[in-house]
Amino acid sequence: MRSIARLTVVVCLLAASGWAAAPAPAAINSSEDLQRQDGDVGQYGGRLVIGQRAEPKTLNPVTATDAVSREVIGRCHADLISINRMSQKTEPALAESWKTSPDGRSFTLKLRKGIRFSDGQPFDADDVVFSFNLYLDEAIGSPQRDLLVMDGKPLVVTKLDQYTVRFTLPRPYAAAERLFDGLAMLPKHLLEKSYHEGHFAQAWSLNSAPAEIAGLGPFRLKQYVTGQRIVLERNPYYWKADRNNQRLPYLDELVFLFVGGEDQQVMRFEAGETDMVSRLSSENYSLLTKEQSRSGWQLADLGPSLEYNFLVFNLNDVNAGKMGEIARKQAWFRDLKFRQAASAAIDRDSIVRLVYGTRGTALWGNVGPGDKLWMNQSIPHPQRSLDAARQLLKSAGFSWNGSGQLLDPSGKPVEFTIVTSSSNTQRIKMATLIQDDLSHLGMQVHVVPLDFRAMLDRVFQSFDYEAAIMGLGGGDPDPNPEMNVWMSNGATHIWHLNEAQPATSWEREIDTLMQQQMITLNYAKRKQLYDRVQQIIAENVPFIFLATPDVLVGAKSQIGNFHPAVLDHYTLWNADQLYLRAATRGVERAGIR
Amino acid sequence: MTYVLQRLLRSILLLLGVSLLCFLFTEMAPGSFFDEMRLNPQISPETIATLRSQYGMNRPLAVRYSRWLVSAIRGDFGYSVAYNAPVAPLLWTRAKNTLLLTLTATFLTWLIGVPLGLLTASARGKFADKVATPVSCFLLSVPEIVLAVGLLALVVRWRVVPVGGMMSLGFEDLSLWEKIRDIAVHMLLPVSILVLGGVAIIERHVRASVIEVLDTPYIQAARGLGIGRVRLLFRHVLPVAANPAISLFGFSIAALLGGSLVVEVVTGWPGLGPLILDATMSRDLYVVIGAVLLSAVFMIAGNLIADLMLLASDPRIRAGESNAT
Amino acid sequence: MRPKAWIVVLSALLAALHLAILAAGFIAPYDAASQNRDLSYAPPTHVHLRDASGWHLPFVYRWIPDPDGYREDTSTRYPIHFFTRGEAHKILWIFPSNLHLFGVDEPGRILIAGADSFGRDEFSRLLYGGQISLAVGLLATFITLAAATVVGTVAGYFGKWADEFLMALGELFLCLPWFYFLVGARAFLPLHVSAAGTFLLLIIVIGIIGWARPARLIRGIVLSARNRNYVLAARGFGGSNFYLLRRHILPETFAILLTQAALLIPQYVAAEATLSFFGLGVSEPVPSWGNMLSALQQYNVLVSYFWLLAPAAALVITSVMYWLLADVLHHWIQSHSIN
Repeated sequence: MRSIARLTVVVCLLAASGWAAAPAPAAINSSEDLQRQDGDVGQYGGRLVIGQRAEPKTLNPVTATDAVSREVIGRCHADLISINRMSQKTEPALAESWKTSPDGRSFTLKLRKGIRFSDGQPFDADDVVFSFNLYLDEAIGSPQRDLLVMDGKPLVVTKLDQYTVRFTLPRPYAAAERLFDGLAMLPKHLLEKSYHEGHFAQAWSLNSAPAEIAGLGPFRLKQYVTGQRIVLERNPYYWKADRNNQRLPYLDELVFLFVGGEDQQVMRFEAGETDMVSRLSSENYSLLTKEQSRSGWQLADLGPSLEYNFLVFNLNDVNAGKMGEIARKQAWFRDLKFRQAASAAIDRDSIVRLVYGTRGTALWGNVGPGDKLWMNQSIPHPQRSLDAARQLLKSAGFSWNGSGQLLDPSGKPVEFTIVTSSSNTQRIKMATLIQDDLSHLGMQVHVVPLDFRAMLDRVFQSFDYEAAIMGLGGGDPDPNPEMNVWMSNGATHIWHLNEAQPATSWEREIDTLMQQQMITLNYAKRKQLYDRVQQIIAENVPFIFLATPDVLVGAKSQIGNFHPAVLDHYTLWNADQLYLRAATRGVERAGIR
Repeated sequence: MTYVLQRLLRSILLLLGVSLLCFLFTEMAPGSFFDEMRLNPQISPETIATLRSQYGMNRPLAVRYSRWLVSAIRGDFGYSVAYNAPVAPLLWTRAKNTLLLTLTATFLTWLIGVPLGLLTASARGKFADKVATPVSCFLLSVPEIVLAVGLLALVVRWRVVPVGGMMSLGFEDLSLWEKIRDIAVHMLLPVSILVLGGVAIIERHVRASVIEVLDTPYIQAARGLGIGRVRLLFRHVLPVAANPAISLFGFSIAALLGGSLVVEVVTGWPGLGPLILDATMSRDLYVVIGAVLLSAVFMIAGNLIADLMLLASDPRIRAGESNAT
Repeated sequence: MRPKAWIVVLSALLAALHLAILAAGFIAPYDAASQNRDLSYAPPTHVHLRDASGWHLPFVYRWIPDPDGYREDTSTRYPIHFFTRGEAHKILWIFPSNLHLFGVDEPGRILIAGADSFGRDEFSRLLYGGQISLAVGLLATFITLAAATVVGTVAGYFGKWADEFLMALGELFLCLPWFYFLVGARAFLPLHVSAAGTFLLLIIVIGIIGWARPARLIRGIVLSARNRNYVLAARGFGGSNFYLLRRHILPETFAILLTQAALLIPQYVAAEATLSFFGLGVSEPVPSWGNMLSALQQYNVLVSYFWLLAPAAALVITSVMYWLLADVLHHWIQSHSIN
């Protein structure tokens, strides 16, 4: 034990020397247009360590597709307009103000003056125009591109003067300022060369030298150690300050350790090797709560997330010759009463209890209670009722044989398969509960876990499945990102893809309503339209909504300004304001290696 | 010498065969790297199609294979879609860490396994053997991953060594001695898991073949002549009983790159494990194929070494080889 | 104990274990799939003999959910009945019955080995799960080793091209990315594979992937055995290849085969869970030791619910018994053949 203690002392000394190496915040210059942040005034210094499930793949904000890379990239860059993770509303960021034209098509943004990238170079409208060119360039194939293209036409960016930019949309778009959230503004002076030489996609890889990378976020790259960690250090030129006019961020360093998985995240946190943990499963959360009194962690259940899990039946047009069995069963799946009966028989409360350990919420619609702005409160939450389910089935011509098996109108037993991703134990659990629930109706349900991408291939490509349990949502609470789920020609209209025209009258009505809400600028009117959409979805059950997990997070108690949110990134969205309380810093450091 | 050359030729053909089958297998498996983006309602199928064609994923299999061959000859071994970088450097940097782990573990495994096998064989039916059998059965029956998670859980509670990883923060500023010590402390857990799993296998095989030899008449006779126990075991029994151990040793070399993947993932060791797991699941195909070929090289080398050792250890095999020609 | 007594005791224990697993329906108090959602992760039921009112025949109490897990509801005693009627099951998959060795009256529940996350009786699942796991483990091991013996012997005994070809094939099989093969193969199979189909699939897949290593081990031994003086002598006397193999060479591989069997059986039991990842294994709600073991990979399960270690314990105990039996038998046969 003593040798371990000695090792920790060594590590402490090191940690101290590490802080000394961090750049001090640059003195505040009166010409800088800094943003003042509310919140506790913290203390400078210290290092925050986060465990990541996997290794990031790139540091390029334009091409990154995976969540882990975005988690790191997000701390190094800034956007023009941000969605505040607490209020879920937009607020000024690099643009200190903006004006919308009366027709809602044109946005004029005033940029902050005198602010600098993390390499000390100034930021202005040229960087904004350059960045948008990158996002819009088809050859780069940025995943953000589709946000900025409407009806096949891209939005147009014009520089009005050094600190003013105008964005013109091809058509009116409700809440268009939300589009800017998460679009990193990039330094033209560093990226222009690789862009013109045509190898932008390779720029800013993990092996790029820190000097080649700069951003407007609170931190900048210090070091990448293959397979082990990424170390970010304070951006000394960051454009936010606290109430006492001290430049943010407080932390010297932000370290991302690649730990290998969710369980490892929890173990490292439990052992004191990391300082914060987010997206906890309910089981791991309750494991931590048992030790909370001893450890003094701050653990938080933030309530329902925006993710919705659902059971979907395959209503696609399948080739009856090749997939006769599925085509035959689709006669049931297409029957609204069959879907309603299945929905009525599913015990959502047990899903919440057994899958989420009561840290979740049952769902009856696509918008859950986590989305306070948009949820339609009038959608009914019927209790589970096997009687109601049996009534529905009976009225649809189904019957039961002597041994309680459910028979379809042609006398064949009702038997189908639910596929789900084998890497998601929670959804396999849901499937097992549903299997048991539906067996009480005499349905024989098989559960088949599949490799995630093999399952996606069946759902999106081959249509070779009968029913699936999946999850969607979780990003922006606004209805617009959901367009492609509900529009009949949408690419995420999972239950029936590639509809040339709306297959049913209610899908046609949803199409109209969704189109309308997208161009309606008034919130109350939009809400009315979207409420109706939610109502139609609930009545016609294209998805059987199951439940949403709570957002569960934890942090060491000495972390100040810890204000986790239900939106991504749950705990690090305000990394610029996080700080370590000095009183406990020295003591606690001893626990970190 | 001709034997070795012949084996090398066979190995090249084998590697070609492996790479071809890799392509066929990956072609067969549904799903592609960009599939996950389909779940994001904000990304259009057109964007995904553009990305696919940019990476040449929609080319015919033959074209992709020949391109890959060219790239392999150049030393890149294809291009990783996820990392947007050539495969070979991705593998190399991590393979070093994997080898550090597995070489240590393999060395310890054999260092412990062989004497333990000799001990349990010569103490057959006695106390040491009675303890060893259930312990070995336990280690052979419990899946490695469960063992690993269990040991990690203990470490989380006892805090005697770090819970995974390879280096402490601030490793760069340590003196050489402290660096070695730091890595050693981090290695303790993954090496223990690997050794625990491996020792049981070797101990059991050595025990079985040593008992077989101990029962033969000439050893019984040697015993009768009063040759000391230790001398008997090491000088007379072990060389004869070594045959299966040599084949196993070949497997050990073959497993240097691929044998520790699970342990690396669970303990966050920055080797090939996390990379390959991630690449396999996300269909970053060239990374997987590169890793498969790299471990195939180790397997070929391991088996070749084992065969040469078999020849060396047992003159009769050598005689048989020449007889056959 | 003398070797003979050991053989009798171990055989009897193993026979009892296998009988219990075969007659799972009768011995298990509940169906393997029957959920009891109020008893998620309930710990093993305590069996009592006395309460405030004095001594009784064995009885249990109900578990009542409690903020810290579960506590006993001591208001009602549930005596344990033997040869009692309960949930319907089939003995040996054919004869319908509802007779159980033991049980308690509803709503009491006797959970000898606790409950899993769905409140399913772990003990019942262990017995039912043993059916498929032991069958797959034993049969797949047998097939693998049979194939390995044939390949290894042919390669080692005939040498030259046969050896080159078979060993190269083995190396090929050992290094291919089976992950993609299995994902691909799954796409060609029907969505739902029946229980019998799953069983066959498991054995085939395990056999295809598993033969190469033991084949190399056996080949090494054959290689050395075929040039022993007495083998050469026997050959000189005109012994046929078949005779030489059977009389002199295959017996040399016996010890390694036993060792490999002991190694492979537990590995294959666990491999079944790996194949479930591809939708090729046993799927919910059917239990197997493999899929019960795989729950232990989750950190919170491993540290919170000790009774879920039961499948690991079952596997270890079974394999220790097999091992001891094989060891004693081997020794006994050998000493007899020498005498």
